Amino acid sequence: MSNVAQSAALELNGSQNLKKWGGWILGVGIWFLPLLWTDLTTYLVLTVAGITMGMLLFLTASGFTIILGLMDVINLAHGAFFAWGAYTGFTALTLLNKYGWVETGSLGQSVGSILICLVLALAIGWVLGVILEWLLIRRTYGSHLKQILITMGAALVMAEIITIFWGPNDEVVQTPAAFTGSIDVFDVIVEKFRLLAILVGGAVFIAMNWVLHKTKLGIIVRGGVENGEVVQTLGHNIRRIFTYVFAAGAALAAMGGTMWSIYTQEIRPDMGEENLIFALIVVVIGGMGSVTGCFLASLMVGLAFNYVAFSAPTLALGVNIMIMAVILLLRPSGLMGRD
Amino acid sequence: MSIPTTAFTPVEMLRQQEAAARYTRPALWLQLAILALFILEPWAISSFRVMDVAAKVMIFTVLVASYDLLLGYTGIFSLAHAMFFGMGAYSLALITHHAGGPAWWHLPLAGLVALVLAVLVSLLVAFFSLRLKALFFVVMTLALAQFADILSLQWHSFTGGEDGVSFKLPGVLAVDWSGGSLAGVPLNGRLLSYYVVLIVAVLLFMGLVRFVRSPAGRVLKSIRDNEQRATALGYKTFNYQILSNVFSAAVAALCGVLYAMWVRFVDPESAMSTAIMLNILLMLIIGGMGTLYGAIVGTAFIFIAESWLADGLNAVKSYLPDLLILQRLADRWILYFGILFILVVIFFPKGLVGTARDMAARRKKRSAVE
Amino acid sequence: MPDTVLTLEGVQTFIDQHHILQGVSLEVPAGQALVLLGRNGAGKSTTLRTVMGLTPASRGSIVFDGADITQARPYEIARAGIGFVPEDQAVLYTLTVEENFRLAMLSEDEASFARQEAVFELFPDLKKFWKSKAGVLSGGQKQMLAIARTMVNDHKLLLIDEPSKGLAPILVDQLAESLNQIKSHTTIVLVEQNFHMASQVGQDYYILDDGLVVHQGVMSDLAQDHELKQKYLGIA
Repeated sequence: MSNVAQSAALELNGSQNLKKWGGWILGVGIWFLPLLWTDLTTYLVLTVAGITMGMLLFLTASGFTIILGLMDVINLAHGAFFAWGAYTGFTALTLLNKYGWVETGSLGQSVGSILICLVLALAIGWVLGVILEWLLIRRTYGSHLKQILITMGAALVMAEIITIFWGPNDEVVQTPAAFTGSIDVFDVIVEKFRLLAILVGGAVFIAMNWVLHKTKLGIIVRGGVENGEVVQTLGHNIRRIFTYVFAAGAALAAMGGTMWSIYTQEIRPDMGEENLIFALIVVVIGGMGSVTGCFLASLMVGLAFNYVAFSAPTLALGVNIMIMAVILLLRPSGLMGRD
Repeated sequence: MSIPTTAFTPVEMLRQQEAAARYTRPALWLQLAILALFILEPWAISSFRVMDVAAKVMIFTVLVASYDLLLGYTGIFSLAHAMFFGMGAYSLALITHHAGGPAWWHLPLAGLVALVLAVLVSLLVAFFSLRLKALFFVVMTLALAQFADILSLQWHSFTGGEDGVSFKLPGVLAVDWSGGSLAGVPLNGRLLSYYVVLIVAVLLFMGLVRFVRSPAGRVLKSIRDNEQRATALGYKTFNYQILSNVFSAAVAALCGVLYAMWVRFVDPESAMSTAIMLNILLMLIIGGMGTLYGAIVGTAFIFIAESWLADGLNAVKSYLPDLLILQRLADRWILYFGILFILVVIFFPKGLVGTARDMAARRKKRSAVE
Repeated sequence: MPDTVLTLEGVQTFIDQHHILQGVSLEVPAGQALVLLGRNGAGKSTTLRTVMGLTPASRGSIVFDGADITQARPYEIARAGIGFVPEDQAVLYTLTVEENFRLAMLSEDEASFARQEAVFELFPDLKKFWKSKAGVLSGGQKQMLAIARTMVNDHKLLLIDEPSKGLAPILVDQLAESLNQIKSHTTIVLVEQNFHMASQVGQDYYILDDGLVVHQGVMSDLAQDHELKQKYLGIA
């Protein structure tokens, strides 16, 4: 009897190990799969593009996931902040271009105009976030249905206001001169702006981790994601902190929008919607409330999108849906999510 | 007073009371009046625009009611309902378009294809994400709907892309068919199509009402109100949720076929896009969730408001042609729908029919007390 | 009349449509450990949660330290000077022991850090696991952390909800000893199912049944009163 139990236990242990390590090997190995149909240089270019997209997705998705984790609020207007950030940056670049800062300026002027764009986007995102939270979100605590309905309405209204101010058409966004063009690393052509985007995304990830782990505010937020009630009884006004977190998330999304619009050099009033869908996929894959999971999932989605979009652009979203479905089958609460 | 001994259970007695009261309820007469309105419409007003709105109201009523089954009666939040509608619409359009000339078998085939597609896809979605947290289902359906929209836009050789597909219908349904006139109204393809829409829509709507009142429908409501309790009572809640999901998707797909049959033109904007999904939501919320009949009110409200609002805003535009901001404000009627939508959700969450029912119930209670 | 720290007057609380507290009145005198007793579902935990503002009272009044806190929010109540140790060792598992302490410390001043050092003497284990995640602690250690973290603040009153739940008997005795030390400087309201523990720590008691106070008295008398214990607590 005991022998049987023992061997069964061993077997269980073995299969658990296999599941654990097999998962890792599969998880890492699958990213080399595109090498089967693309040559190495193309693969590396696509990888850089994928990481860029992932970093920028992270900016939107990380705010969404913390907002969701902290107050259990599903905010489908999150993509609208992204679009507002993009249009803010676009306006700033158009104005700066009149003074010769963008298309022809020096390195300093290029860096300056990017900084101005980012600061303005952060400010607009923050302000819009505070307004939305005060006006609508706090009326919906505790009801996912209301949250989804109201934030969908808010997303629609915010996109419509963009078309009123800026018109319904696509617009071309100028990249500041110093960041146009590309550099050649062993035959792999890397656009300069991609490097900048990766830098910015990575910096935000590191800064966010620092805030979450080293500051009191961060500890309150992490504690609140786990158990808001206990954190309240320890003397913290979690609703006020949520307003800050909501605004910060909105600001990050707006910043992501600016970066994205300069990267793709175009903006549309409904660009927030598409970004939101990818951000949502990232949040589901990464696990609600987990910043690290969100970061990994952002990279996954960015890479998968680019590998597939290179040969079949129509299917890029479909592949990400499939990845999401598979991850949900294997880990119902996402990569790093808790039940 | 002693309780009379009967062979009926309390539930049966309640049902008998309900059945006996059926023909005295004002709601029945209201329903018959609405039905009569739609039947007589072509004879009352000889305007194609009004007939067009009436047909679309009927189709969307069923579509919104089928969404109500999902959201209002089962508590499942899906954002892919427009996708199922679009599947149905594209089934008819693409079959007729790619098969060459119009033929009778296109219609039943399109219905069958739409049904099979809707059932398969909704089953797949349900298996993958219905067991999980509500957000996952929302994300899955939203992403799938977007994917379908992208496919219909970008698979140009098959779907015609942004330009859409226009097609012809066979025999008496063809636009150019004409069979004289009856009481001053020309009998043509349009009129016959109108009555096909009417008959199918009424049948589908009655099917939805039957479903909601069936034992399965009652279980669905109990799942919506308290899933744990329903599970504890021994119901396999997951199976019931799947049933609701599949049934609702199937009806939506049939609505799509009907819509394509009426309009004879399908493009992503009018059949697949997020705008349609938002319209469905708006109609449902304004009419009232969990009422089915709210669908008629909400749909009629939106379609009438849409034509009226567009006219009104155009008038404003022509009055002040120089103000660019005003021009744009007047163009964006979706903006006002969005604001209306938010206000209704916050201040009027039960919608028109739900609120009316509450008021009627309160009045009844008050008169019972007196 | 001795100092009263906390007074509840006809407090009624609803959770959804359930009428949980149906008019609880009680007084907590300063400088002792008061025990709330009663069967499961009698409303003991809800009383603590209502005081804390987590399930706000719909009627009645709650006065703490001379101020009406009936409608105050949980964080305001905590800042007014009530520490809360929730049921089920509710520490924050994903945070380290250090972070749990930091989260609880309301003002990071010298006095607070001095209290923190004093807490280590009471619960030396916590110092050992200072940098570990609270999730890896044993049940007893989690419970100690949940109590200890509130003690870094200068609370006038500590509400403790079933600290002995799920702990081994030997740990229960240790815990009782710690609570006896704590009550020498902080008033405690203790909800406890473990009568042994309750009689070791408590002085006065209230018995709740169906959302009402049905009995009150001194713990040492109750220990003798088998009939009362049988009736309301189901123990002989």
